[in-house]
Amino acid sequence: MAEPSSADFVVIGSGIIGALTARKLVLAGASVLILEAGPRVTRGELTARFRNSPRRGDWMSPYPPVPWAPHPIYLPKDNGYLVQAGPYPYAAEYIRQVGGTTWHWAAHAWRNVPNDFRIKTLYGVGVDWPIDYDDLEPWYQEAEEIMGVSGAPDTGSPRKKPFPMEPVAEPYAMRRIRERCASAYPVVTNTTARNSRTYDGRPACCGNNSCQPICPIDAQYHGGVAIASAEKAGAKLLTNANVYKLEHDAQGRITAAQYYDSDKRSHRVTGKTFIVAANGIESPRLLLLSASDKYPRGLANSSDMVGRNLMDHPSTSLTFDADEDMWLGRGPQSPSSINTLRDGAFRSEHAPYRLDFTNISRVNGAITALIAGGVYGPEIEKRLRYACARELNVKNVLEVLPDPEHRITLADEKDAMGIPKPQAHYAIDDYTRKGAERSKEDFRRIASLLGGTNLRFSKEGDYANNQHICGTLSFGSDPHKFVCDPWGRTHDHENLFCVGTGVLPTCGTCNSTENGLAIALRTASHILDQAGTRPAGTPAPSPGAGK
Amino acid sequence: MHRRGREAIVAVDSLTGRPGRTDATRRRLLGSFVGAYVASLVPFAIAQPADDDSAAFSALSGILVGRSSLDTALGKRLRDALAADDPGFAKSTHDLLALIEQRRLDPLTLQSVLDGEKSPLATLPGRIVTAWYMGIVGDPEHARCLAFETALCNVVVADILEPPTYCHGAYASWTRKPT
Amino acid sequence: MTRPHRRPAIAAIVVLAASCATAQTTTSAPGTETIKRGEYLAVAGDCVACHTLPGGRPYAGGLVVPTPMGDIVATNITPSKTAGIGNYTEQQFSDAVRKGVAADGGHLYPAMPYTSYAKITDDDIAALYAYFMHGVDSVDVRTTPAHLAFPFNMRWLMAIWNVMFLDTHPFQPVAGQSAEWNRGAYLTEALEHCSVCHSPRNLLFAESTSKRLAGGKVGPWDAPNITSDPNSGIGGWTNAELVAYLKHGDAHGKAQAAGSMAEAIDYSLRHLTDADLRAIVTYVKTVPAVHDAADTRPRFDWGGPSNELAAIRAVAWPANQAQLTGPQLYDAWCATCHQDNAQGSFDREMPPLYHNTALGNPESNNLVLVMLDGIHRRGDTVLPMPGFAQDMTDHQLATLGAWLVVRYGNPAAKVTDAQITNLRQGGSPSHLVPVVQVAIGVGAVIAVAIIALLLRRRMH
Repeated sequence: MAEPSSADFVVIGSGIIGALTARKLVLAGASVLILEAGPRVTRGELTARFRNSPRRGDWMSPYPPVPWAPHPIYLPKDNGYLVQAGPYPYAAEYIRQVGGTTWHWAAHAWRNVPNDFRIKTLYGVGVDWPIDYDDLEPWYQEAEEIMGVSGAPDTGSPRKKPFPMEPVAEPYAMRRIRERCASAYPVVTNTTARNSRTYDGRPACCGNNSCQPICPIDAQYHGGVAIASAEKAGAKLLTNANVYKLEHDAQGRITAAQYYDSDKRSHRVTGKTFIVAANGIESPRLLLLSASDKYPRGLANSSDMVGRNLMDHPSTSLTFDADEDMWLGRGPQSPSSINTLRDGAFRSEHAPYRLDFTNISRVNGAITALIAGGVYGPEIEKRLRYACARELNVKNVLEVLPDPEHRITLADEKDAMGIPKPQAHYAIDDYTRKGAERSKEDFRRIASLLGGTNLRFSKEGDYANNQHICGTLSFGSDPHKFVCDPWGRTHDHENLFCVGTGVLPTCGTCNSTENGLAIALRTASHILDQAGTRPAGTPAPSPGAGK
Repeated sequence: MHRRGREAIVAVDSLTGRPGRTDATRRRLLGSFVGAYVASLVPFAIAQPADDDSAAFSALSGILVGRSSLDTALGKRLRDALAADDPGFAKSTHDLLALIEQRRLDPLTLQSVLDGEKSPLATLPGRIVTAWYMGIVGDPEHARCLAFETALCNVVVADILEPPTYCHGAYASWTRKPT
Repeated sequence: MTRPHRRPAIAAIVVLAASCATAQTTTSAPGTETIKRGEYLAVAGDCVACHTLPGGRPYAGGLVVPTPMGDIVATNITPSKTAGIGNYTEQQFSDAVRKGVAADGGHLYPAMPYTSYAKITDDDIAALYAYFMHGVDSVDVRTTPAHLAFPFNMRWLMAIWNVMFLDTHPFQPVAGQSAEWNRGAYLTEALEHCSVCHSPRNLLFAESTSKRLAGGKVGPWDAPNITSDPNSGIGGWTNAELVAYLKHGDAHGKAQAAGSMAEAIDYSLRHLTDADLRAIVTYVKTVPAVHDAADTRPRFDWGGPSNELAAIRAVAWPANQAQLTGPQLYDAWCATCHQDNAQGSFDREMPPLYHNTALGNPESNNLVLVMLDGIHRRGDTVLPMPGFAQDMTDHQLATLGAWLVVRYGNPAAKVTDAQITNLRQGGSPSHLVPVVQVAIGVGAVIAVAIIALLLRRRMH
């Protein structure tokens, strides 16, 4: 069987954003070829892997990498694929397989708040986006209708049209948290891509409480659903195709992608337009790997910004015991949060944050802790039930400012395919630390409102990574400061586009997928507009503020 | 609403005796290899043990796990896996039982005593409890999960919670107060 | 209405004249109460199920009804004068519904269940007529007529069939039975036409009179024995369970409707009053028991909670996924909702698989069809089940199905790869047409041979 070797559009990466970009283009009549480094896997197999996992708290355990498409693994020990240059580790987890990393997300699908687009102008920190909220609004809506998003109304992101469905039913524990915090904090139902009714042929949530690492029934939208829809629309997918280099011609037009198959045989695919959608680490890595005589710093890198401004949403948290039985673990994993601290004058001083209440079952964590603490005998059951009934956790989701010294580069070490590994240079700066410190006051207050005892703060100086990889391909008007233009086209190469969360020039306080997806859909609209084909039913992209 | 619990199949008779009370019947059934103190701690009788090693494992498991009934079929799988990882497992099991008997050790302070003395048996209780409560056997790089649904950590909360990846019920069934 | 636009022009004029005459002799338009009553009766008769396209205008026809004789197209029965039955007199309406004879004299096939509707009373026919003439919106879109293969295009043959098998007597209440029983008998036999699916048929496709409601087929679906036999039928169900099943298509912990039965519930049965549902149940519970010796226990009494987790935990999946076992496949695709011991969710919204009539049925098609296509009821009133046709191969589905019936159901049921392949496409096409054509051909040859023999004898 002859595999396709050429297409109008070559998309590198089959995650949620790459897949939906591909789908939009193919629906408009273009030929699209998606190259995915890793293999296919089914939801059923992932469910079985999770149940057989000896490390159920490790959400990567159902996703072992294949040798020809390694991704970072930290347990049981670090596989060293993502080299940490420090000073602070950027221990991101991501999945190189068909569908990408959102196989194991909590489906948060927040929009930015309007001021997120202008923090430089308003607060003197970070950078301004080249577009504003109103420019992106129609694509936020499009993304939400594709994924099936719902949430509480009025959480700071104005809407022109309603959510496609009602918010997901609130678990009992979250209701109690909401009721008891009401005097001080409005606790709201999260904006998530999770079904509260049958939607798009996928069922409503039935409370498996395993969103991370796998929703066994596809009640939650994810990259696996996205790539299936792209293929159904006519996009061609080549799996086990690890793209290690993009070729260009003398004029700087990208001409081909070279990839290794699982036997490390090299293949070449040509196309008219290339779209890099391989996540915020692998995409800049590919651009850097594609360095040539003409482009010694890598493709799209005349600004020297490829890989720079690496950001995430670090988290610290408080665990405590409430004074009534709550029983986390009933319903979806991440149902509720406090969203009133995402913006304000304080942003000139310290990072804003969201405050997330987890609904992840305590069972695995509690039994691990009890055994580690040498608790044996009948006390185990007593204390385990108590922890499962009473234990609550609130965490912050902190903004990180873009810093060009925080970046992804190529390591000297090579991976199993002989390709230089990605290397992370990262630190948590004062802006974020001060936000974390400030949030502790909120943690304490919340614990007190819930009659909290046995307060356990996360370890001082430890910031959990949330896998929201932003900044490394930032878009902006100035070709000296940004990798892509406001449409996602690289400044340096007319037929090379970037989509994904790496394009976000600041990370705000919300999980990045909705932002990245909206921008990608807008990029696709622009591409089609330029080609004279606007997909039916979509508005013409607005020109943007052109900052 | 009370749901059907995920109780392990009762494979041995459970006694109504409280821990700490010596019971001649229990001692007789346990055989001669444990003393009165251990017998008082084990919360069930061991009917017709297959062999001394099996009985010792059952007795030690009963003490450490604190449950009045344990699934014998699951116990055999766990014991086989633990022994496969550790050729000295059976002997260690006997040794620890003897230690508990000799020193009248309490399950709650057992680990600190073993750690304080840097005992060669220090990792044994944790391994056994991890096997029963989490269904996991093996060191981090060779760990296997032999039980998930029937791991005791899920069994003891099964009246309220399903293990992750098992549905709670119809949509919105989680809004109700758990009873 | 069989071939509306092939009617000879003369016949059309005659019909028009007749209907005008009828219209002139009608003294007054029917009252809203009669029309409403007619509407209820139309729902009970489930006319909409055949005479409406999914998502189409009510009663506008166009639905292709596959039958063993070939595909029949259900006609437009809106009061449209150009495309529907707008020109029908009440007599013509009654003849079509109760005798299977259209206004042009053409015969209908019993895909139109006139054999059941024959029992509708005169009063009810009048109400139905009133509803269809005055309560249904006219749709002026013609349906394309059916083209049936020889010999089934010779509709006049149905006249002979009707003489043999059609009982034209409207329903008579049985003395000595309660009003509720008689109401139930009328609904069951005349309107809901349960026997059309649930009765076995003889070689000439007439319903068996000796084994009424002892089971039949609807395409690939098995319509099980619903006589009062406790093992082979529904004798072991409580009345409340049966009412719940008819009303919701879900008797918790026992049975869930799918396919054609789910349709019958969604379009018809769940719209009946509770009193009518109880009446149907009262009647059906008295239908003479028909017992199949092979049925050693009721369909709902097979299996129990159990699992084979020990065989799959700490066991890696095979590299070749065609070798996945039943327990492994169950773990991957079913256990999330049906739970590890197949006990279903605590609220029984996700049903248990043991004590489940689909798995207890020795005919496994119903189980397989649900595994392939799921259950999607109208209006999301019952929790939907997804289908797994795209998630598993034929062999995997067969492996899983075969394991399910052994572990949780009736081990006499067989599930095979070939069956899955077949049912993916909606089941085997009927062989009736070629069989009958061959039979006629053979019969003709035999007839010619006999005549030739006789002639030869004469000549000697």
